[in-house]
This record gives sequence, structure tokens and C-alpha cells, in this order.
Amino acid sequence: MRISSLFLKVSLGGAGLWLALCGCTKAAAAQATDWAALTQKSSIIFSGTVSQLAATSFADVPKSAQTIVVKLDSVEKKPAAVLLKKGDSVTVEVEDAPAFREGTHATFYTDGWIVGAGVAVKELGHEVGTAAEPVQATSAGKPSGQGKDEISDQELLDRMKASDFVVVGRVTDVHKWNVPEPKSGAPSRVTEHDPDWHEAVLEVQSVLKGGKVKGNKVIVRFPNRNDVAWVSSPKFAKNQRGIFCLNRDQSTGALASAGGQQANVYTCLGHGDALPISEEARVRSLLKNP
Amino acid sequence: MRAIVKGQTPLYGTNQIERLARQYASHAEPGSPAGVPCAGERAARQGETTPGETTLMKAVASSQLRFLASARLTLFLPALAVLLIVMAGFLVARGQSPDPPSIRVINLIPASLSGESNQDSEPFLAIQNQNPQVMVASAFTPNPFSMTGNAPVYVSQDGGKTWVLNAITPVQRMTCDITHAMATGEKHPRGDLHAGTLACATGIILNESESNDVAMSTTMNVQSTRSNVDQPFVRALGVANSDRIYVGVNDFNQSKGRTATIDVSVDGGATYKSIPIESRKTAGQDGPSVRPAVANDGTVYAAFFGWRRFDGKTATSDIVVVRDDAAATGANTFQVLKDPSDKLPGRIVAKRVAIPWSNAPALGQERIGSTLSIAVDPNHSGIVYVGWADKGSKGDIYTLHVRSSTDRGMTWSKTDLPRTTIHNATNVALAVAGNGVVGFLYQQLSNGRWVTHLVQSHDGFTRAKDLVLATVPADQPVGQFLPYLGDYDYLLSVGNEFRGVFCANNTPDFANFPQGVNYQRAADFNAKALNDGSGNPVPISIDPFYFSVPVIP
Repeated sequence: MRISSLFLKVSLGGAGLWLALCGCTKAAAAQATDWAALTQKSSIIFSGTVSQLAATSFADVPKSAQTIVVKLDSVEKKPAAVLLKKGDSVTVEVEDAPAFREGTHATFYTDGWIVGAGVAVKELGHEVGTAAEPVQATSAGKPSGQGKDEISDQELLDRMKASDFVVVGRVTDVHKWNVPEPKSGAPSRVTEHDPDWHEAVLEVQSVLKGGKVKGNKVIVRFPNRNDVAWVSSPKFAKNQRGIFCLNRDQSTGALASAGGQQANVYTCLGHGDALPISEEARVRSLLKNP
Repeated sequence: MRAIVKGQTPLYGTNQIERLARQYASHAEPGSPAGVPCAGERAARQGETTPGETTLMKAVASSQLRFLASARLTLFLPALAVLLIVMAGFLVARGQSPDPPSIRVINLIPASLSGESNQDSEPFLAIQNQNPQVMVASAFTPNPFSMTGNAPVYVSQDGGKTWVLNAITPVQRMTCDITHAMATGEKHPRGDLHAGTLACATGIILNESESNDVAMSTTMNVQSTRSNVDQPFVRALGVANSDRIYVGVNDFNQSKGRTATIDVSVDGGATYKSIPIESRKTAGQDGPSVRPAVANDGTVYAAFFGWRRFDGKTATSDIVVVRDDAAATGANTFQVLKDPSDKLPGRIVAKRVAIPWSNAPALGQERIGSTLSIAVDPNHSGIVYVGWADKGSKGDIYTLHVRSSTDRGMTWSKTDLPRTTIHNATNVALAVAGNGVVGFLYQQLSNGRWVTHLVQSHDGFTRAKDLVLATVPADQPVGQFLPYLGDYDYLLSVGNEFRGVFCANNTPDFANFPQGVNYQRAADFNAKALNDGSGNPVPISIDPFYFSVPVIP
């Protein structure tokens, strides 16, 4: 993956030396140690030549002194669904417009802004000149991309940071769970976003983040409904093995019991909170080298 | 960038003539059956839209069209000449430009997002009232760049010909409900967008927010936020230097289960007040849909489902309408209309109807349970229409009804208006044009297809013009989640146009779009296939479509 190649490049070369070689801008230099993070944070990375200043590459993008047009030489990273290729012109909303002139060649680390007849992006950082090791397209001739269901390293790292526990485990049981009616006697709500809560009993095999789990067994509540509100939430099946990012249950408003005793109750609601066991090495690596 | 598919199609002179002929000829045939356009419509369809073309295809198509048009002109020239003379006199007499808008159907997915295959369902539309070239549409479209970026909206600045996607809502990645309105744009010609969004990451949170310029990258400013509410539905009215905003919500925070609520702001969203509009005992709550409608004189109506009993599968419900004559700025808001049966606020349009409730596919791949619409004549606030769906007759899954009032909601037609009892249909959306013509948008499951209709009438549907905007396979694509097409679509009027949005299977097939269609995304209409703009195939999915249809005179 392109991200990992950039990451490796940074790691091996040393950020300071690398920046000196490629003549990075003041803004970039100020973040000299953050290139790997910038690479992870960027949804679109490309190299190209500035063709117009204070201009845009297609209608509907507001023109300003901060917008420039860049003709692409190569695309290093982009979402799979976004059409972007060598020769395209892209609008970049830059942070430091005077740093650019027509003909300036740079690698841009950006986040997406507008998609229309073309693409407009917001600059997160850039390096002027040709990189010491220009990033090449993959052997298939296509830039690396992120599929719509894939989670990037940065996003996964963010998820794990926000989790109370990250565990490796196996689902031993799944059953429906009805939210207890409140003592006020108010009836339960009927909405099209009803989560249809279910509980998965998760046998914890190892804890990658968080303290020891009492009894090595936790309850994980999850929405079983296929409503748009919960479409990104993981669904669980018996005997499923994987890596799970867990948060203490603050969504359903109730505790649970397992085997007649109060149990540790968590939710696992976000996209990427349940990963296949094949991702274990990646998860461990990210936790070790965040 | 790419030569392929740039949805702007050249309009040939012959097509303009055909459109004029079609518009007036078809209006003279009010009984024209759905899905069977008149000869003029069929002829116009061939040349009206030609997206997905390469330069070569366009050249070939152009020559064929010109040949066909030439042949037709030879045959029908005398008749057309007479018609044009009559029409020119008619239009000049009315002081209008002799260039009425044509029917337009546009796939909203931008060219640069041609590789997407999301289920972009549940569309909505806002038109900047003072600058109708600017519009905002929405759907369940995720942020195209990352899992953590803002959910986007579609923006057009050219009256709907082209659309871009701009990620400015305050919700991460994708909303789980979104509606919006643009009343005056007092702060910018591309503002002010007022949105009600639900964020559903870990719970369900309502944000009521504003954008002063929908083309900029600035995230919408959240003005109010709270939880325990459902299905925000935003309308707005521009007044002097501020907007009045009305957000229908099903508010579970209200006491006694009287959950139908209108959030009202009279200061452009700076502050909101939640006003319960249910006055009767409920089955613990009202139905999810609470729909406000605002007339130019400040009359505000709202319709809701007053749930009286609910057994998990069926809601026994009243169809209730409330009204406020002072833009909800005074005391005793929404209490003007009282029902003669119990003297309580809220006129009951239909009493104790059975509404099927299913959070699983029930009508094709779509769920059902809460489609509702209300529309008021913008210039005659005493004329109001309400549409909803219920169990209907035996054997029906879901039946639409439309009724009307001409005395400010005090009395209602006791039965459905003619031609408005629609079997196995959903997503009713009503709007009234400036000339009093009512538009009736709905989607019907018919012979294994989802058929999207726009019906117009100026006499309460005694006579009506029915246009089929789309007829697409109902079994493809397989749904990714619910709602499949949406719990609603939407219709508005502006000038002499009805503008609206609906969702449908996006197979690029002209046979699926009887009025023609333009795709911004890469599409091969010969192969009836999508691609990512680089030639790689893209699976069929649900896309949002914008349309503009001239209001019948």
C-alpha cells in the first residue's frame, strides 16, 4: 500500500534529512516530524505542477486568492470511487498562496473538498520540488485507493484510541435483548431507527488495549437492524473470531447480566470496530507504533 | 477532464418546438394514462437527452436526430406553424418569455464520483427562494473521501443542470436523516441553508444548523442540538432580515406521549422553541412524520399521524392537521383549528385509519409506515392538501390518499380526490405552484418496477396530467440498508416549474426514464452499464435524481 511505502521512506531516511533533500516549505518544515501522520491523515495525495493561481479547475468551486489549479503528474493516494488520474487538473485550496507560482512542482497532501465535474481539495501540507524518491504508481498502473468499506490506518488508530478495550476474542452466543422499560412506565419508542438491540457474548482471548477483563467474558450490545442509522455498525454471529474495539455501554441506558451476575457490558458500534482476525498483525503494529 | 458523459446536452431547435407542442398538446389530454406518453413526448424523448456519449456517439446521434427531426418537420410543419402562432400570441398576451422550461431529469452523482456504488437513498431538496439557480439536495450519501469527514450535500448553482458534492453538514460521514430549506439568503446569495440532521454514531442526535454559503468548505454552524427525537423535517419562511424556521420532529421528550412537535425559530435559528402540537391521548407516541407547510402570508400548517393504538404491526392513527395564523410567533400556537368531534386543537382529516408498520422490506424492498405530506397554496393560504398512505383496501399493501381543504383546514374532502387513491405506492410529496396547480409526486410498485409519477392538476385532480419520470426494476440492486428508496422524496414549486428529487435504480437505460435523463457520472447507455470514468465497470446502485417539470398553465 502506498501509505506504508511513504511511512517506510520517512522512517528509513529520517525526517530531517528527507525534508532537506526535497526542499520543503516553511509550513512543512514546521511539521517535519509529522509526515507519516500527514500521509495517514490525507485522503488524497498527488504530485503535480501549478498551472494557474487564484483560479479553479471547474465551475461551482468558489475562486479565491487561496485556490490554485494543479495539473497532476501522479496520484499516490485517493478514495477508490473518486476519479483522479495523471493529466487531470485539480483545484487546491492552499494555506500559503504566495508559496506557489505557476510552474511550481510539488507533492500535495490534501483532504477532499468538492467533487463535481472535477475534484477540489484542501491542502493539509505540501513539499515543493520532486520528492527524493518519487512515489510511483502500482504495477497495475493504478494509484492505491481506499475501498468504500476499508478503514485507513489513521481511522483505525483513532478508533482504537477512543476505545476502552481492544480485544481479540470469539463470539460464543448471540441473542436478542429487550431494553428494560423505564420505571416511569413510559412505553418504549417506536422509530424507523429502532436498533433492535442484540447481545453477543464475547470470550476474550487477549487484551490489546485496556486492563484485565474479569472472567474473560464480556457482553457486547449491537444493533441488529439494517436501518441506515446502524448500517456501519458491526453485526455479530456465533463463533465469529476477530479483533473488537469496545466502549462501555452508554447507548442503551441499561446494564446486563451474564450467568446471573452483573457482567461487563460494552458496545461495538462504529465502522471498523470489529475486524477479522486476519487484521491482528496490523492492529498490533498500529498499537505498538501509533 | 473526461470527454465521456458531461450531462449537458445540446438542445436542438426542433426539440424546442416539440416541447412546446408536447406541453400544450398533452395538457389537452388529461386522461393520458401513466407511463404512456403522447406522441409528442415520445418524439421529444429521442433527442432530449444524450448523456454518456463520446464525441463520436454525439456526432452520430446528432445527425440522426436532425434527420428525424427534419422528417417530422416536413410532415408536421403546417400544424406546428399554426400551433406556434397561436402559442406566441398566448405567451405575449401573458407577458411571458416564449421559451418555457423543458422537462429535465438529472442523475445527481458527479462525474468525479463515477466509481461510487452506495445506496444514496432518501432524497431531499431546498431551493434558494430569491436565487432559484442555487439549490441543495441531499441523500444518504457518505463522505466520499473518508470515514471521518463530514456528510455531504449536493449543490447546484445553475438551476439544477449540474451538481457537485460538498461535505459541509455537521454530521460525521453520513446522516441518518436530513432535510433542509433555504428561504432568503440574507447573508449570502448562496445561503442561508437551514438543515435538520440526525447523527447516529452511538445514539441519535438532532442538529439544527445553518450554512451562510453552501459552496464554501465551512462546516454548517450547529445552532441547536438535542437527543430523543426522530425525523426532522425543515421548512423556512424569509421575513425581512431573518428566516423563520419550522422543524417537524417526533419528540420523545414531550410528556404524556404527545410527541408530534414543531421546533420554531423566529430568529434565523439563533434560538428554537419546541411546540407540542398533539392535544389528544396517544398510544404512547405519535407517528414519525410531522410535516410543516408555510404560506407566504405566514400561515403555517402541520400534519401528523396521531397514533391512537399500536400493536407492533399496525398503527391505528388519525390524520391530524393544525394551523397557526401568525407564523407561530404568538400565543396558543397551532391551536386555531379545532375538531368538531371533541373541540380539541387539531382537525382530524381521517379518523382511525390503519397504517401498516414494518421496519423490514414490505413493499418490494422498501419499508413502510409513515409517508405523509402537506402542501399549501403559497398565495392563497386557505387552500391546503394532505397526502398519506394506509392499509387501504383488502389485498393492498400500502395505499396513498390525497384530500384537500379550501377553507383553511376547517373542513376537508370526505373522500380522496379523484385519481389520488394509489395502490401499493409510497413517498407522497405534494406542492402547489403559484398559479394554484397542485403537484403530486409518488413512487408506485407496479409489475415488479418502481414507477415514479408526477401528477399535476388545477382542478383538484378532476383532470390531471400524469408524467412518469422513472420506471426501474424493483428487485435490483439488492438493498444495502433501509430505507431502500427513502422514507420520503420531495417536491417544490418555483416560478413556473415543479422541482423535486426521487431515488431510483441507476441503470443507464433510456427506457427507464420516459422523459429523458442526463447522467453526470460515467455511463454507457448503449451497454446500459456504469463505469468509473476510466472504463472499469461499476455495479448498479440507488442514486438520487433531480427533476424539473413545467407547471401546466
